[in-house]
Amino acid sequence: MSMEVKVGDKIPAWDMPSVSAARMRTMAAILRDPNPVHWDRRVPKAMGFGDHTINQGPLGLSYMVNMLHAWTGPESIRRVWMTFPMAVLDEDHITARGEVTAIREVDGERLADCNIWLERPGTDHPLEGKATVKLPD
Amino acid sequence: MPPVEEIRALVGHRFPGGHYTIAHWENFLLTECTGAEPLPGDLAHPVALFHVPILGANTSIGEMFALGQADDDASIGIESYDWEFFKPLREELEYRIDAEITEADRQQANGRTFDRIQFRFELKDDTAELAARTTVTWHYRRRRAGGKRT
Repeated sequence: MSMEVKVGDKIPAWDMPSVSAARMRTMAAILRDPNPVHWDRRVPKAMGFGDHTINQGPLGLSYMVNMLHAWTGPESIRRVWMTFPMAVLDEDHITARGEVTAIREVDGERLADCNIWLERPGTDHPLEGKATVKLPD
Repeated sequence: MPPVEEIRALVGHRFPGGHYTIAHWENFLLTECTGAEPLPGDLAHPVALFHVPILGANTSIGEMFALGQADDDASIGIESYDWEFFKPLREELEYRIDAEITEADRQQANGRTFDRIQFRFELKDDTAELAARTTVTWHYRRRRAGGKRT
């Protein structure tokens, strides 16, 4: 029986209770990312971000990927387009959320287009974008 | 601030290209960084579509900063990432990666000057079929004369 999904449905949220500075450092090593804003607190502090490091953009995006995987499965993502209006900082409580905007069929696959975003208490959305996923048969 | 002609001349710049294989340990650590459990089988976490194309194209984040003549590492802002998956990414599978700069121009918005540079990477799997494509668009924020960033 196929998954029942309709326009306006909310995607079950995915929670990151506290963004980790240690994970940013591991990520910087894997990415070979020389930008010190991700691992040297003195740099973002001088930029006005307080005593925090700045999460890599792809890591913020990955929280929404995890939300989509939990909803439609680990092979379901067809496209993700993401913008980055605000920085995510270590120790932030971040919740990934989404909503279905369209259902369509392409080449025999039932696809759901979605708006997706990250929420942080007390601020606008740090990340906002769109995704297309294949719905389970 | 670099001459705008030098920025516009980046369009069409091709990176050397090359091959990349996502190692199991790399995927494990990468997935852990996202806060997720390891994916089943040999599936790689889609977040690999950031660094795999860059390193596989035989370039680096540092070189991409330098090509746009970034004032400093902290002057880079992300406009958008567009990730298209035609097949799931997998561990221990060799991908062929080709990449080029597709857009580069100077822009102004809200009293700020920045150079908008777009990079496109394509990953083909061992059957030479397109597995994924990523379009990275960054802003290189520029300083006014006197040193203050606009």
